[in-house]
Amino acid sequence: MRNSKVFWLLSLVLVLSAFLAACGGGEDTSTEPSDSEGDKEKESASGEMDSVQELNLMESAEIPTMDSALAEDAVAFNIMNNVNEGLYRLNQENVAEPAVAEGEPEISEDGLTYTFKLRDAKWSDGSPVTAQDFVFSWQRAVDPATGSPYGPYMMAGTIKNAAAISEGKMDKAELGVEAKDEKTLVVTLERPVPYFMSLMAFGTFLPQKEAFVTEKGDAYASNSENLLYNGPFTLTNWDGTGLTWTMEKNPEYWDAETVKLDKINVDVVKESGTGVNLYTSGEKDRAGLSGEYAMQYADDPEVVRELEPTVFYLKFNQERNGKETPLANVNIRKAISMAYNKQDLVDVVLANGSLPADFLVPTEFTFDESKKDFREVNGKMNEFNAEEAKKLWETGLKELGVTEVTLEMLGGDSELAKKMDEYMKSQLEGNLEGLTINLKAVPFAVRLELDEKQDYDIQNSGWGPDYQDPMTFLDLFVTGSAQNKMGYSNPEFDKLIEQAKGELAQDIPARWEAMAKAEKILIEDDAAIAGIYQRGIMSLQKPYVHDIVVHPFGGDFSYKWAYISGKE
Amino acid sequence: MTQNLEKLPKGSFERITVDTKQAERISKPSVSFWQDAWHRLKKNKGAIASLILFLLIVIMSFVGPMISPYEPNAQTITHANLPPKIPGLEKLGIFDGVGTLGGKEVNLYEMKKVEVNYWFGTDGLGRDMFSRLWVGTQVSLFIAFVAAAIDMLIGVIYGGISGYFGGRVDDLMQRIVEILTGIPNLVVVILFILIMDPGIIAIIIALTITGWTGMSRVVRGQVLKYKNQEFVLAARTLGASDSRIIWKHLMPNVLGIIIINTMFTIPSAIFFEAFLSFIGLGLQAPDASLGTLINDGYKLLQYQPHILAFPAILLSLIMICFNLIGDGLRDALDPKMKD
Amino acid sequence: MARYIGKRLIYMILTLALIATFTFFLMKILPGSPIASAGKLSPEQRAVVEEAYGLNDPLPVQYFNYMFNLAQGDLGISINQFKGAPVTDLILSRMGPSAQIGFQGMVLGTIIGILLGMIAALRQNTWVDYSSTLIAIIGISIPSFVFASMLQYFFGLKLEWFPVALWKDGFMSSVLPSIALAMFPLATAARFIRTEMIEVLGSDYITLAKAKGASGSEIAFKHAFRNALIPLITVLGPMTVGILTGSLVVEQIFAIPGIGEQFVKSIMVNDFSIIMGTTIFFSVFLIVVILIVDILYGIIDPRIRLSGGKSS
Repeated sequence: MRNSKVFWLLSLVLVLSAFLAACGGGEDTSTEPSDSEGDKEKESASGEMDSVQELNLMESAEIPTMDSALAEDAVAFNIMNNVNEGLYRLNQENVAEPAVAEGEPEISEDGLTYTFKLRDAKWSDGSPVTAQDFVFSWQRAVDPATGSPYGPYMMAGTIKNAAAISEGKMDKAELGVEAKDEKTLVVTLERPVPYFMSLMAFGTFLPQKEAFVTEKGDAYASNSENLLYNGPFTLTNWDGTGLTWTMEKNPEYWDAETVKLDKINVDVVKESGTGVNLYTSGEKDRAGLSGEYAMQYADDPEVVRELEPTVFYLKFNQERNGKETPLANVNIRKAISMAYNKQDLVDVVLANGSLPADFLVPTEFTFDESKKDFREVNGKMNEFNAEEAKKLWETGLKELGVTEVTLEMLGGDSELAKKMDEYMKSQLEGNLEGLTINLKAVPFAVRLELDEKQDYDIQNSGWGPDYQDPMTFLDLFVTGSAQNKMGYSNPEFDKLIEQAKGELAQDIPARWEAMAKAEKILIEDDAAIAGIYQRGIMSLQKPYVHDIVVHPFGGDFSYKWAYISGKE
Repeated sequence: MTQNLEKLPKGSFERITVDTKQAERISKPSVSFWQDAWHRLKKNKGAIASLILFLLIVIMSFVGPMISPYEPNAQTITHANLPPKIPGLEKLGIFDGVGTLGGKEVNLYEMKKVEVNYWFGTDGLGRDMFSRLWVGTQVSLFIAFVAAAIDMLIGVIYGGISGYFGGRVDDLMQRIVEILTGIPNLVVVILFILIMDPGIIAIIIALTITGWTGMSRVVRGQVLKYKNQEFVLAARTLGASDSRIIWKHLMPNVLGIIIINTMFTIPSAIFFEAFLSFIGLGLQAPDASLGTLINDGYKLLQYQPHILAFPAILLSLIMICFNLIGDGLRDALDPKMKD
Repeated sequence: MARYIGKRLIYMILTLALIATFTFFLMKILPGSPIASAGKLSPEQRAVVEEAYGLNDPLPVQYFNYMFNLAQGDLGISINQFKGAPVTDLILSRMGPSAQIGFQGMVLGTIIGILLGMIAALRQNTWVDYSSTLIAIIGISIPSFVFASMLQYFFGLKLEWFPVALWKDGFMSSVLPSIALAMFPLATAARFIRTEMIEVLGSDYITLAKAKGASGSEIAFKHAFRNALIPLITVLGPMTVGILTGSLVVEQIFAIPGIGEQFVKSIMVNDFSIIMGTTIFFSVFLIVVILIVDILYGIIDPRIRLSGGKSS
C-alpha cells in the first residue's frame, strides 16, 4: 500500500540534512575570529577615538527596580553605579575614591564619626546634590515602611541605630546620619568599620532627592522619566518593565569631561546562545560566555577573562530536623572536602577561567597595606588528596560505626550548577567507598527556604562580597548567623570574628591575623565548609571597545572611562 | 416481453427453492472487530515497518546500555567532549573521531590520546553518549506511555459520559473541564513540579493533571457527532442498552480519533518533558531523557552537533513511527473502510 | 443564540473565579519566599519586610483581599521581579509582541497545515501525501527551542535575511519567531485535516455529490472541507495552549519583550502577583478561545445543538 522505503529515505535525508547543515555552519563561524584578528591590528595602529561613541551591551535580566533603597540584584546595582554616584566610587584599580565626597572625610579618634564634605555635584535636573539627600535616602532604605531587604542588611550593625530602626523599634530619624549643613554630612557608626569607604561605593548608600521622591510618590523610579541622576550617565527609554534601555552621557555630571561614551544601548538577552549570535553578527559589543561556549572560544583573540571574587563551596549540615547527620563527624567532613578534583572541575567542566578554591576568602580581592593579598597568609587548605580522603573517610565511618552513608546534595537549577553537581557526585562516590550522593536541584527561592529550615545534608552554595573586606565572607559562619544554617558552632571561631569586628578594628595587622586564623579554623581544622571554586567569567569583547572597568562588588561594571576606538 | 421469455431455451434456468436457513448464512468467515482490524493493519506496510522499527528502538533502549562498554553515568573527565568514533567506519570519513575545536578540524582522539572508542561520542563530563542515549530513550518512553495511558483512560471515560448523556451531566462536567483547560497547563505543570519533590513521578503527575482534558473534549465532540445519527437511533429503537450503544456503536467510530489523539499525546508528553528541561525543571541529574539530552545539546549545535544529533534523530524516528502506526491503526479501525 | 452566549459569559466569570482560587492556593504552597534577600535578614527584620508586602496576613485574608482587588480589575503590584510595578502595566506593555507573534504563528501554521492536510488527503498514499505528512511530523519532532535556535542561526546569523534577535525592526523581527511558533499548529492542523478529509471523502454524501457530477474542486472545498474543519476547531484550544507554551521558549530565544518570557522566572522567584496576573490573563484568553470554538462548532455543524440538548 505505502511505499515505505521511499518514505524512510525521505525522512532520514531530511532529518540528517538539518544536522549536517548545522555542522557545516559550525565551520563557517570558525573562520570569523581570524578576520577580526586582522582588524585588531589595524586598530591598535590608529589608536584614536572614533567620532561615534556608542556602546552596545546586553544584560541577562531586567531591571527589577531603580530605587536604590529597594535594589538587591546585580543588574540594578550595575546600572545605578553608572547613572548615580554615592560618596565614593570604585576607580579603575578598584580602590574606593571620593566621588560626591570632596576629599577624604574627617574621622574621629574612636573611628566612629565620619565627617564628609560634599563637592558641587548636580542632579540631572540641575539642582545641587546635598547632604540632606543622603540623609533622606539612608533613612528611607532602613525604614520598615519601605520594605527594603538590603537597607537593613547593609546598615544594621554598621550605621548607628540601623538595626533597631529596621525592626521597627526606633524612629528612622535616630539613624546615625546627619546633614550639618548643605554640604556637610556626618555619619555615626555602631562600631569602627575599617572598610567603611568601600561600603560608601555601594548602591544602597546612594543619595535621593527628597522633594523629587515625594512629588512622584508611587511613580518614583517606575520608569526612566521618574528618576534623577547624578552619575556619569542618565538612564533613558526605560519603561519600567521592558527589555531595553539606554544610558546617555550626563552633561550635569561633575566629572563629565572624563566620560567619553555618548550612548550605551542595552538589551536584555536571557539566552546565552542568542547573546553569542548577536555578538557575532556585530550587533553587540560584548557577550558573556557560559559553560558550553567557554571551551569553544578558549583560544579566541576577542575573549576577555576576569576573575570574580565570588566563591562556591559545600556547606555541610551537621544537624538536620533536630538530628545529627553523619556530617557532624569532623573526619567525614574532612574526607569529603578532600575527595574531589577541583583542578579538573575548573579545567574541563567549567572551562571559563575559574580557579580551584582551597579557601573561602577569594584571591585578588583584599590586600593589606603593603598590597599583599589576604590569600597569601593562609595559602591553600584541604587540597584534593584522594589518599588522605580515603583514610579520613575510613576513620570517620569507624567512629560512626557504619559502612555506608547516603547524603543529599542540594544545588542550583542552572545548567552549570547541575553539571557541576553531577561531577561532584561522581567524584565523591568514586573516591569514597560506601558513599551515595543523591542530587537535588531546585530553583534559588526553594534552595533559600531549604537552607533556612536547615533541610539538606550538603549544599552547593556561593557567595559574592558586599564590601571589600574578608569579613564579608567570614562572618557568614558565626554561630547562629542567618547564613550559617548548618549547625556549625565553634566558640574560638566566633571569638576571633568578634575581635576582628570589635576590639581589633583599628589595629589593622592584628585584625588581619585574626581573620586569617578564623578562616584556617573554619576550613582546615573544622572542615565546616569545603571550597570548590572561585568563579571566573569569560566574555567576548570587540577589540574596538576599551577600558570597561570590572568591579569585584557593588556594580559589576563602570563605563565612565570606556571609549570606542577603531570601529570605523 | 413475455414472448421473449418463452423463446429462451429450456434448461437455462433452474428453479430453486427459497431456503430460509441459507439466507442467514454468512459467507465470509466470522471475524471479530479486532481480528478484522489486525488483518487490515497487516496490509499497511508503512505501519508495520514503523511498528517493527519502534519495537527495535524499545529493545535497543534496554540492550543498548548493556552492549556499550561504559556505564551511562560514569564520568571519565579526561575524555570529555569527544566526537563519535566507530572502528571500521573511519575510512568513510564519518564517525572518525574528528571534531572542531577553536575552529580547527582535529582528531580529538589523537589529540587527547584516547585509545578507546566512543560510538556516539561523549558529553561535557566524559560520559558515553551511546549508553546515555538508550537509557534516556527508556526514561522518555516510560514517561510518555504512562502519561498517555492515564490521559487516555480518564479522557475517554470522562468525554464519553459527558457527550453521551448530555444535558445537565454534560453541562456540569464541561464546566469542570472548562476550569481545568482554562488554566494554562504550563502554569499547573510548573507549579506542581515545584511543589512536589522533583523527579519522574512529579513530571508524570504534572503532565496528566490537566493533560486528559484534550482527549475528553475530542471524545465528547465525536460522541456528540455520532450519537444523533441514524444508526444509533436504530440501535436504540431496537432496545439496545446505553452501554451496548457506547461500546458497540459509538466506540468503533470514535476509536480512530482516540488513537490519533493518543499518538499525539505520546510525542507531546516527550516534548513537554523536553520543554521542562529547557526551563530547568526536567529530570534530576544525573538521570537522562531524550529531553534533557536534547536540551544539553542544542546549545552546542554549532560546535558539537553530535550531542544534539543522536537524541534528536532518535526522537524524530520515534515520532515518525508513532504517526505511521497511528495512521495505520486509524485506517484499520475505521468501520467505514471495511471491504 | 444571544441567550446561550449570555449564559456562557456568566459561566466564564465563575470559571475565572475558580481558576483564580485554585491558582492562588496552589501558588501559596510553593516553597520559598518572594523576598529574594530574605536569607540575609534577621527574623525580626524579615517579619517587618514581609509585613510591608502583606505576606504575614492569614491566608484567607490574603485570598479575600486578592479576590476583592481582582473584582475591581486590580492585579496588584510585583513583589520582586519588577518591584512596585503594577502587574496590569506589565501585561499591557508586553501583550503586543506576544499577541503579534502568537497570532502570526497561529494563522501561518493553520493555513499551511490545512493546505498540507488537504493535499495529503486528496492525493492519499502518493509521494505528495508522504512528504506533506513528513513535514508535519518534522514540525512536531523538533522541540521548539532547537527549531528556534536553528532558525536564528541560519536565517539570522548566516543568511542575514532577518534580525538574529531583539524586537527592534518591526515586522522583520517577528518573522522568525512566528515561524518557530507556527510549527505546532501546522503539524496539528495538517494531521487532523488529513484524517477528517479522508473520512469525509469516503462518506455517502460525497459519493452522491460525485454521482451528481460535482467537480473535484467543488467536492473538495464545498463538501469535504467544510465537514473536515469541525475537528480542527476542537483542537483550536490545545493549539492556543501550544502557542502559549511555545511563546515562553521562543520569546526567550529571540529576546522578545513578551508575556511568556518573564513568566517562568516569576514562578521561580515566587512573585505572587505576577504569577496570578499572568495566569489570569492566559486563562481569560483561553476561555474566550474555547467559547468561540463552541459557538463556531454550532455554526459549522448544525447537527450539534448549542443547547447541548438531551439526546433525542
